[in-house]
Amino acid sequence: MNGLETRRRPARVILWTALAAVLVLYGFPFVYLLLTSFKTPLDAIAVPPQVLPSQWTLDNYVAALSKEGVVPALINSVATAVLSTAFSLALGVPAAYAITRYRTPSGRVFVIAALVTRMVPTIAVGAPLVETMRRLGISDTTIGLAIAHTTISLPLSIWLMSSFFEAVPVELEEAAKVDGSDRLQAFRYVVLPVVSGGLAVTAIFAFLASWNEFLFALLLTSVRAQTTPIVIANFQTQFGLDWGGMTALSAVYSVPVILLTLALQRHIVAGLTLGAVKG
Amino acid sequence: MKLRSTSGRVRIAMTGIAVATSVVLAVAGCGAGGSSEGAAGKLTVLVEGGGKAEVQPIADLYQKDTGTTVELVELPYDGLYDRIQTELGAGKTSFDVAALDAIWLSAFSAGVSPLDDLFTDDVKSDLFPGLVAEAQVGGSYVGMPVWTNSEILYYRTDLFGDPKEKAAFQAKYGYALVPPTTWKQYKDVAEFFTRDTNRDGQTDLYGTDVKGAVETEWLATVSQTGEKTMVLDPKSGDVTVDDADHLAALSFYTSLLPYAPPGAAQLDWAGAQNLFYQGKLAMMRFWGHAYTQTPANAAVKGKIGVAPMIAGPGGIAGVPGAWYLSVPKATEKQTEAKKFIAFAYEHNDLSIKTSLGLVSRISAFESQAGVAGHENYPAILTTLKSPATIARPATPKWQEIVTSVLTPMLQKAVAKGADNAALLKQAKAQIEAIVK
Repeated sequence: MNGLETRRRPARVILWTALAAVLVLYGFPFVYLLLTSFKTPLDAIAVPPQVLPSQWTLDNYVAALSKEGVVPALINSVATAVLSTAFSLALGVPAAYAITRYRTPSGRVFVIAALVTRMVPTIAVGAPLVETMRRLGISDTTIGLAIAHTTISLPLSIWLMSSFFEAVPVELEEAAKVDGSDRLQAFRYVVLPVVSGGLAVTAIFAFLASWNEFLFALLLTSVRAQTTPIVIANFQTQFGLDWGGMTALSAVYSVPVILLTLALQRHIVAGLTLGAVKG
Repeated sequence: MKLRSTSGRVRIAMTGIAVATSVVLAVAGCGAGGSSEGAAGKLTVLVEGGGKAEVQPIADLYQKDTGTTVELVELPYDGLYDRIQTELGAGKTSFDVAALDAIWLSAFSAGVSPLDDLFTDDVKSDLFPGLVAEAQVGGSYVGMPVWTNSEILYYRTDLFGDPKEKAAFQAKYGYALVPPTTWKQYKDVAEFFTRDTNRDGQTDLYGTDVKGAVETEWLATVSQTGEKTMVLDPKSGDVTVDDADHLAALSFYTSLLPYAPPGAAQLDWAGAQNLFYQGKLAMMRFWGHAYTQTPANAAVKGKIGVAPMIAGPGGIAGVPGAWYLSVPKATEKQTEAKKFIAFAYEHNDLSIKTSLGLVSRISAFESQAGVAGHENYPAILTTLKSPATIARPATPKWQEIVTSVLTPMLQKAVAKGADNAALLKQAKAQIEAIVK
């Protein structure tokens, strides 16, 4: 046993080193962003770059949060992302369930067609969407933007939920039916609880797709529904970039998604491993 | 029990989502931004993030005087271009007026209304010739300058005013140490101040910077040669980027490399500005607005002087960095939009006290002569009034030319052993492929 562990030790060291390297690779940009948000304007653009601030300051946060339009944009971002997630789940979950359970040729075509929409450049859809939203009278509204964001997240939701439903044995539903449930009840009380991890994963991906989306927000909003990614980008002007303000607002904007991910962490892990145990 | 408990969690989650959605729908209906519309209607004006402050006081006064609400929609620089392009392409716009960067005018000229009736002789005589020329695309005036910028010369007053430095410079070069006005003087001063001040074997003070990651400063140098066809002639399509003047400009530009910090290929506006603020440069050529924005903790705070851009064989020259107000053809509020632009021209001086403090009228610049804190105005004025100062070529392909040809060419030119003539010839071929 001891011999086995001794043989495994170098492998573990390599594994942990690789893990640490990946962690640094992923984490460093965010840590640097966070540190820059506490720097003075001069430190923020120091040549060569300096990792730690020579003087810590909260001025960037005060300036960024007191900038006109920042707070409404944060509210708009939350509202748009929640709405878009709700739309995406409300449409994607039944669609995915129907596709996986009925297995019709048209269902297969639909699911592939849904994926194809992800391959169309967003900008190509942008111009027609601008006109559509205007005709519907929902330009520069949160609902309009949420619908636009749903076009991005819905195909992903259908694909994700399809794979989760695939992993649920049909026998579970049949057993429920033997016990007197109809299909809707079996779906509601048996299937949905089993794929709750998958729902969490799908929800968080849909939320993130909307939360970070830039192009539709740029084209479809002006003042009332403008979201935070646009306000963050406004720190870049023709004459330069306000690193302090941009990094401070970016750090603030990251907090909700970090909290959401932490809160749903258990479900996400469960959801991601749901298909893995299918046997 | 287990099944019931799990489904209970799902029920709670679903209820949560439903409640959140209801709240959000209510919020969405209202719109977080909110707005009020004046009795006389509303005008929507698209502006770039950095330019909103310039237009805000004009919009406020217009609203006060006319009752018309002016809604300023602030978008990031790159995003503003995409938004305008998309909406003009769709044939319907959500805005009535847009602030356009000078280099976009030709790209958007087909989608904006002529403003010829606003360009009276009085108006033209109070605008810089380069701006009047730039505003005219295809025989019509398509935008009214709302503010303009230009590169000027920044220098360290503590170094230039030091009697020891003055004496040493006089002894070495045979003339007085003053803010340079010519290429030769600039190079001499740059050489003079490039040194190891703390004697650790490393150069820590440089005479100047050389920016390789942005093209405008080299274009200003091109104009300083007296070149009248910068890069290409948009009318004939002839590309001039490899002619003698462009080569002379590139040769001078790169001849400053020994007196500039390493890493020129990656140096952009922000990097150069920071080096100057840290006290690592004796001189810097930079946009005029920055004079009033020196950070409090900059090593050179209170030690900065400004002068007009330097002159080459053709005279003093910079590149006008103007923004124009234009009216999209698609807006139904043509008359109101033009009225707002005329008002903006009339009250151009309101922008003097904004964060950038930039205006477009000569009279507005001149009104601050001798006013403390506006020492940059005479420098900008002299640079923009100079006959050698010309606008960038009016071609819709300009942005592409800059991104894919000029900037990469400059980055190669500032590398050791670069063949400037060969680089310009290569650039010519690339530009011809873009414009033809």
